[in-house]
Amino acid sequence: MDESTAIAIANHALSLARDAGAQSAEASVSIAHRFNAEARAQVVAKLEGSTGKSLFLRVFRDGRKATLSTTDFTAGGLRDAVTRAVGHADLVAPDEYAGLPDEAATDGAGLRLADPALAQREGVAKVAEALELERLIRAADPRVTNSSGSHYHDAVGVTALANSTGFSAAYTWTRVGRSTGPVALDGEVKRIAHYGTAARYLSELEGLGTIATTAVRRAVDLFGARKPPTMRVPVIFERDVAASLLEDVFAAVSAANVAVGNSWLSGRVGERIGSELVTIVDDGRVPGGLGTSPFDGEGVPTRRTPVFERGMLRSFLYDTYYARKLGASSTGNSTGGGVGPSNFYLEPGSISLDDLIAATPQGVLVMDTIGFATEHATGTYSRGARGFFIENGELAYPIDEFTIAGQFTDMLAGVDAVAGDLRFEGPVVSPSFRIAEMTVSGN
Amino acid sequence: MIDEALMGRLVSRAMRYGGDFADVFCERRRTLSYRLQDGRIHDASYAVTLGVGIRVVVGESAGYACSDDLSPAALLDAADAASLIARTAPDGGERSIELSLEHSPAFYDCDRSDTIDAARYVAMLEAADTAARRYDPRIVAVNAHVSDELQEVWIATSEGRLVADCRPLITFGVQAVASEKNERGSGYVGDGGRTSIEFFARETPAALGAEAARIATVNVSAVPAPAGEMEMIVGAGGGGVLLHEAVGHGLESDFNRRGTSLYSGRVGERVASDLVTIYDDGNLPEERGTLNVDDEGVAGQHKVLVEKGVLLGYMQDRLNARLMGVEPTGSGRRQSFRFVPQPRMCNTYMPAGESSVDEILASTQRGIYAKSFAGGQVEIAKGDFVFMVGEGYLIEKGKITTPVRNASIVGNGPEAMMKVVAVGNDARLARRHYTCGKGGQFVPVGVGMPTVKISSITVGGTQHG
Repeated sequence: MDESTAIAIANHALSLARDAGAQSAEASVSIAHRFNAEARAQVVAKLEGSTGKSLFLRVFRDGRKATLSTTDFTAGGLRDAVTRAVGHADLVAPDEYAGLPDEAATDGAGLRLADPALAQREGVAKVAEALELERLIRAADPRVTNSSGSHYHDAVGVTALANSTGFSAAYTWTRVGRSTGPVALDGEVKRIAHYGTAARYLSELEGLGTIATTAVRRAVDLFGARKPPTMRVPVIFERDVAASLLEDVFAAVSAANVAVGNSWLSGRVGERIGSELVTIVDDGRVPGGLGTSPFDGEGVPTRRTPVFERGMLRSFLYDTYYARKLGASSTGNSTGGGVGPSNFYLEPGSISLDDLIAATPQGVLVMDTIGFATEHATGTYSRGARGFFIENGELAYPIDEFTIAGQFTDMLAGVDAVAGDLRFEGPVVSPSFRIAEMTVSGN
Repeated sequence: MIDEALMGRLVSRAMRYGGDFADVFCERRRTLSYRLQDGRIHDASYAVTLGVGIRVVVGESAGYACSDDLSPAALLDAADAASLIARTAPDGGERSIELSLEHSPAFYDCDRSDTIDAARYVAMLEAADTAARRYDPRIVAVNAHVSDELQEVWIATSEGRLVADCRPLITFGVQAVASEKNERGSGYVGDGGRTSIEFFARETPAALGAEAARIATVNVSAVPAPAGEMEMIVGAGGGGVLLHEAVGHGLESDFNRRGTSLYSGRVGERVASDLVTIYDDGNLPEERGTLNVDDEGVAGQHKVLVEKGVLLGYMQDRLNARLMGVEPTGSGRRQSFRFVPQPRMCNTYMPAGESSVDEILASTQRGIYAKSFAGGQVEIAKGDFVFMVGEGYLIEKGKITTPVRNASIVGNGPEAMMKVVAVGNDARLARRHYTCGKGGQFVPVGVGMPTVKISSITVGGTQHG
């Protein structure tokens, strides 16, 4: 697996597209070796290891766009699929904004995308980590009686992009992660928690001990949880849940949603929406970040884009197509077929989560949510949740089977404290933060 | 796709260090889809999935490797990688496994000619767009998509079985957005199934577009949902998402064999009110979750999960069935050749009860009517679930009144099922557009239900008091 192989496949696909009648085209090839070990108790429950390839092709003819994704690399199969894909463009409406970016370029310096140590690692050492994580969660607390498994996974890959203007580039990347799912018995009730972490470098991954204790704490802390009363109170979102809330903010600033009116932020650039503490950035060049890359899905260099500055909405995030459609410039956020985050995060504050709780006379700490009910057009948020009721700055008792709901406009304006616990563990990340008031529905 | 002799050799090679069983899953799939936006065909996409997954099972352990390179050398490497799970045993070398092709019943027709009349699909999108915009002047945006998929699979097992299936799947969906003053509301409708384009002569794109527009106009005038505990009536058809989340996932055998589900070890016990019967069926003609054979080569089945409130059994894949000492139920499914099979639902539904819808409504003082759900999620250890209501109304003094927006419902599976106090006589399957996600794998499923009343549930709105 090397960069030149991936570039060669991309260039071959471009020539097939040209033969089939495409006037311009762009090919992206990903080749990755993925490894996954799952342990449960003392048993290696799953061992997966494979090298996979995929090609994603965009073709343009008279302003009509069609795409192909394929894992068929047989000579006849690839030619047939490319020819069909180009043919499918015939029924597409011409679109003046469709096409390749005006300029593609790459700059991978200093991005720390690949850990050379990962490719050298022996399978035995990886499997041993999953088994050790299983041992640690059981050793951490006697109430942990079972688990849904502990995982070690890694991937070493190459991503190449070439287009018909002559641009071609590639980069090598790595990713490694550990996760676990302890089950603790709370009387008759099973309490399961999931915790995991990921990084590009093995050395930057949270240690097995920290992962095990964090996961176990999330399971046993909720023992005896009860349904809270229905009320309006301050709500603190713990780091991982805070990140899922930021995913909804990303959806609202994605030009793909803005362009079709599916965003509560449409037409509001320049308006003050959040509190002073709301500074949200999309930065594709955070060294070692999981959302970091030298160029985006269509070869536009990545960059740092301030999205909210001290509550003021500064910019949406664009790929080339939606930038042209909305009269802006690409922010290097193309996924190849749409608009995606690079490293999208809320600027951290300086206090710890513990201090944030201590500074909250009464409220709710949300540790986990389920569901995905956000209406992006109206900015209405609602989730099932579990966590703690806070009284006098202390975690008074665990609560579950309740919902939290609010309007995003009010929620961002209500951010009144941000913790300093940000970690770049995924494309969308956040420190813990507090919202001054939300509706909690329980009894 | 690859010849029978090579498939036999791969199964044999995978078992070189022994194992309880091994299987080879070959897949060729093509999907053509078109998307409409702003009244125009926005793009066409074509996807081809071609590859082989090889698995070796030893006790509760599975080794898995897949390859998109179909050369014998690459496939033998994959078989070797999968066999590593059993590597503590001596290398027994390859032995000869003779495969014999079995024929399966057909619950859907499969046209292997691979000719798609794309112009007809495009016309369908345009018809839905026109109908949605004509429905009401408040409709400001319509997005529609259609996809036509054909998946061919071949599964060889170390017992010498060779099974093939060819699965069509058409998905047509329309989203309409209505706008009035500063409010917006959206509506989504989808349909299709393991069927042909002729299906849409009965369920016309224009009718589906108008229905999406109707829901959007209901939601644009909806008031914020109330917050707190109240009675709930779940609508027939799409309400079946409730069964899928509140009960179905908890009855998948991996969680139960491992003892991580709240339903573990509870076969024969009461888990719901005696009005509740739940089936999971892989044999319903043309439904999204229907399978002639599952992804492990086991025939799809009709399974009684819960009968009159009593838990009768789980949905089993081969690995977990073997460990639990029961037969697999045709529930082994995977997203593609890159994934290990998991026990999954097919089409999950509740048969009709005896109450009339009028009686159910009349008995409800203050509550919420969830006509359809936009989605849901469950946590299987404790059984807590959440649902998002797609179209919902307040019920006041026995009457359906004001539409409400963005209601979430939270509860606990068995608790909610114990509170089922009425089951309607209007059972039906939902429109076919549901997809289920589990452990990062997405598969098409079906759901269905009669109108059902639950005596108390927590509604998570923003209107307190």
